[in-house]
Amino acid sequence: MITASLTLQDIWQALEPRPFQPNPNQANAILHTDGPLYLTAGPGSGKTRVLLWRTLNLIVFHGIQPEEIFLSTFTEKAARQLREGLQSLLGIVTNQTGQPYDIARMYVGTVHALCQQLMIDRRFSPDMLRPVTPGLMDALDQYFYLSDRRFWEAAIASTELPDNANYAITEFFNGGKWGSSSRHKAVTNCLNLFNRFSEECLDPAEIRDRTDNEILKGIIDLYAYYKDSLGLEGRTPQVDFALLQQQALQTLQQSPDAGRVFKHVIIDEYQDTNSIQEQLFFQLAAGHQNICVVGDDDQALYRFRGATVENFVQFPERVKTTLDCSLTQIPLDINYRSRKHIVDFYTDFMSRCNWSRPDNRGHYRVVDKDIRAHSSDHHPAVVASSPAKPDQVVAEIAELVKRLLDEQKVADPNQIAFLFPSLKSKQVERMRQALEAQGLSVYAPRAGRFLEVEESVAVFGLFLQIFGRPERGEYKGDYAEFQDWLDTCLQDAHQHLTADPNLATYVGDCQDEIETVLSDYQILCRVAEKHGWELDEAYTPSQMEQPLAQAFGLSEKARKSITNVYINRLAKQRHLEGNPFSLKYIINRATSLDWSILDLFYRLCAFQPFKSWFDLAEQGSDEGPICNLGLVTQYLSRFLDHNSPVLTASFLQDSKFINAFFMRFVYSLFRLGESEFENAEDPFPKGRIPFLTIHQSKGLEFPVVILGNPRKDPKVQPIETIVRPLIDREGEPLERMAEFDVMRMFYVALSRAENLLVLAHFSSAGNFVSEPFRTLLDNPDFPRIPHFDTNALPVAAFKEEDIARAYSYTSDYLLYQKCPRQYMLFRKYGFVASRTQTQMFGSVVHQTLEDLHDLLIAKRT
Amino acid sequence: MTDQELETAILEIFEQNYEILQAEGGHSLTEDTKRAALQQVLLYWRKMRDVAERVTETEVKLTLPEQQTRKGRKYSIHGVVDVVQEEERTVMYDIKTHDAEYVQSNRGDYEKQLNIYAHIWQELRGQPLDQTAIIATAHPKEVKQALHAGDEAALEAALAAWEPLVDIPFAQQQVEAVIADFSEVVDAIEDRQFSPPPLSRLEQRYKTRGREKRFATQICGNCDGRFSCSSYRAYTQANRGGDVSFNRYFRDFESTDQEAWLNANLETNLES
Repeated sequence: MITASLTLQDIWQALEPRPFQPNPNQANAILHTDGPLYLTAGPGSGKTRVLLWRTLNLIVFHGIQPEEIFLSTFTEKAARQLREGLQSLLGIVTNQTGQPYDIARMYVGTVHALCQQLMIDRRFSPDMLRPVTPGLMDALDQYFYLSDRRFWEAAIASTELPDNANYAITEFFNGGKWGSSSRHKAVTNCLNLFNRFSEECLDPAEIRDRTDNEILKGIIDLYAYYKDSLGLEGRTPQVDFALLQQQALQTLQQSPDAGRVFKHVIIDEYQDTNSIQEQLFFQLAAGHQNICVVGDDDQALYRFRGATVENFVQFPERVKTTLDCSLTQIPLDINYRSRKHIVDFYTDFMSRCNWSRPDNRGHYRVVDKDIRAHSSDHHPAVVASSPAKPDQVVAEIAELVKRLLDEQKVADPNQIAFLFPSLKSKQVERMRQALEAQGLSVYAPRAGRFLEVEESVAVFGLFLQIFGRPERGEYKGDYAEFQDWLDTCLQDAHQHLTADPNLATYVGDCQDEIETVLSDYQILCRVAEKHGWELDEAYTPSQMEQPLAQAFGLSEKARKSITNVYINRLAKQRHLEGNPFSLKYIINRATSLDWSILDLFYRLCAFQPFKSWFDLAEQGSDEGPICNLGLVTQYLSRFLDHNSPVLTASFLQDSKFINAFFMRFVYSLFRLGESEFENAEDPFPKGRIPFLTIHQSKGLEFPVVILGNPRKDPKVQPIETIVRPLIDREGEPLERMAEFDVMRMFYVALSRAENLLVLAHFSSAGNFVSEPFRTLLDNPDFPRIPHFDTNALPVAAFKEEDIARAYSYTSDYLLYQKCPRQYMLFRKYGFVASRTQTQMFGSVVHQTLEDLHDLLIAKRT
Repeated sequence: MTDQELETAILEIFEQNYEILQAEGGHSLTEDTKRAALQQVLLYWRKMRDVAERVTETEVKLTLPEQQTRKGRKYSIHGVVDVVQEEERTVMYDIKTHDAEYVQSNRGDYEKQLNIYAHIWQELRGQPLDQTAIIATAHPKEVKQALHAGDEAALEAALAAWEPLVDIPFAQQQVEAVIADFSEVVDAIEDRQFSPPPLSRLEQRYKTRGREKRFATQICGNCDGRFSCSSYRAYTQANRGGDVSFNRYFRDFESTDQEAWLNANLETNLES
């Protein structure tokens, strides 16, 4: 602990470039150290700073060890900022006092990351000889796992679901209407429900009895089958995000001292926690009772992921029942982000909904909030387009954006954000076209489908050209749309091939190689047939090598592979060991391509248009295309995760590969629309205007925000109706839920704006804005774009990063020194490398040595 | 735990780690390479047992906070050192899966890294450090030959002669130079300077494992980005003459790499 000579106030004063001057509530929150703390934090009220200083106060002035603090954030980015900020502030303390601090073992991270950390923490399981971290499946992995035909059929066979189970399931989710026999639809429905079961910690055996519906019973049995299939008790268990938390909770329940490991449990964005997380946090805080939650129920966004805003709204009651003590509530209610007009507008917006519970039993919202703007700037800062048809609205807005850029009200287009409830609506495309007509570029990799961006079309078009196009069947809907997309890709490929003869030659060579391995495969199979050899039988070099190698018409490459000295020696050796190669293996080996689809991608990048996209990024002028290409490699590598990277002729023939790749993998991505990727990168690529979903904008702020579609029709998700009778907890009433959620979502959007908030006011047949926007915009004095005076608009301040960024010696410094371009691709833009033999060798050796040392340490103590 | 039990534990841990990495990355090692990796771990245990048994901390995370670049950006330096042994003396070891000869010939790089780590350790924990060293776990060819021949006596002798520890002395001046250089790199990254190194760098020669290699083969040859890289293109044009077709560029995997790739990945395909 520190001597009396230094105080927290001294450190605030010493801050560069200006001292930190917390408002009284902020200061109280920072100095609070004892018992549960309930921080209701409005938008832009400086909660991150409060968390940072509060943690610093605990460590520096109250003798709390960093590893005694559990600090959970909503995103990786928030965790990184807190960690780096803390490191930086503690560095200042060290410079003044000479006292060093090491926060490397402190728990700062997303709930998921912290769950992984605590499952291998010896403080919870002192007898554990060797910790096992389960393999983690993200949403897309989970989708592919479940929708694997063999898995899904076996799962269904284990239940008493009727014959056309997919039909029954989808019909059930649609409230008894519109069934579909599509596996995809059945799986996506079930996947969400399974995750909700896990997040609510529902035991399949128990909930089965709470319903009379035979289909729901069947779905619950599918969930049980899925859980069993993951090998949770085995050597290499796998979990999805929801089950990871369940496993962590189990670890805590088995540990008698779980409630005493952390002296302080601090949870950010508490309004978006789910049931199982609440259990985790209360378990961890049971001993010392120091649980601090920070959040804003008005910004609750994640009901569809199982979040229950009641965790936050009813936190005082929960503390009383669970911990049997009282709490301190401190509101953080001064907004430092937005100009006054903006704050007044969204406060008014929120009050237009009736939040009271029936029978005057309080509210579904924390109502005693009084959010005030720190700014006293009285100029208009919220402006709407003229009420008009969409074409006119988007043109008016695009013109305003152009004006803001021309007048340098913002430093870069990436400071103007367009927010939409969904990026799939027509208004998004209209808006984009209007901006492009003004010569402006948009960054919206998730708008529409990622597969429809220029870069994806170029890659998949050339892939189609090389491997061939899957046949078109007689279906409608998604399928027909996908087939049209395939055509678009092919047309795009034709253009590139015409433009660059080198590309045409290369693509032709690839096609020839495929032809050759296919023909070699036929030839070798005929040899086997002639000799009466089964493909599955053992390969005996002495009998088989010569007839295979001498087959008429066989390519030189295949002949070399069959007569390869090394492989024949190995074959003989394995024969002796009683573990011979199969004939099939030898044939596959001789008839496979030298490249994987990821190799092919990187080679295609030598040509136009890809080459220019790389050049743009190297010069730092446009990052959009390279970001998208990086994503393409991530998708390709996912395909390789589940299929061998080697393309054998037996895989290529009879359209097997084409079907697996295009009709299953790419088609799945197409249908999923990749909505699972929600963590937006920040800052956004320079030179482009970001188009985001409101969900993506959570926690971010922009000088200018345009609400591109103030319309969202309230609709209760079927999952809520299904789950409600299975859980014995009272929540928001089903009939109010959707309305509440829409209000909260728009509240998040409106509160992102710093200097200017623009509303698109659609008003024509079929195009309108939701309530309460409609009423608010009815006001004849509402400021409109045509009369908006940009002179009163402040210039967006260049944001100085006051938090030191962390750089790694090996993965940043050394990598950049080796090659800046390699750094750019693999570190900055997330390209996935194709060949990683040496890396894997190093990893497995390193990991095993680390485990060996840990084992020796554990053995000694 | 008996020695026998410990070896069994190593085998198990290794196998499990391999399975996890395979599941995570979707890549595999060839039988040979996998065996060689296990061999490295087992020989480490055999040769370096006294070090291994005195390790007190693994995966030690180190941070140097509050640095500032020339352009005024704040940043911090992070590193992870493999093991620290603290008994009567405090020693920091970093494990490299290269051989000692390779480490010796690239000493400069390792000096920079361990010196920074040592500096952070002393600054952060306020404790002195008695020694820093690299443990080079790849065994020399004598050990490999003895293993191959199954000659236990020769193996004993080769193991006794093997020097996997490379001592790295501490030099404070070097720390300052590295931090200054680090700052430049941070500015360059933040300013998005991502041009590839010039052609002359690609032509530079390096000595590793007694063989001379060019940057272009050693680094670029393993980089998937080379096909779209202007410097690499210039290099291939300068070294292959203008008459070689553009496509030549794509066929430059060394045949052994290609074979290893096929062996590793095709086999797992058949098993499943």
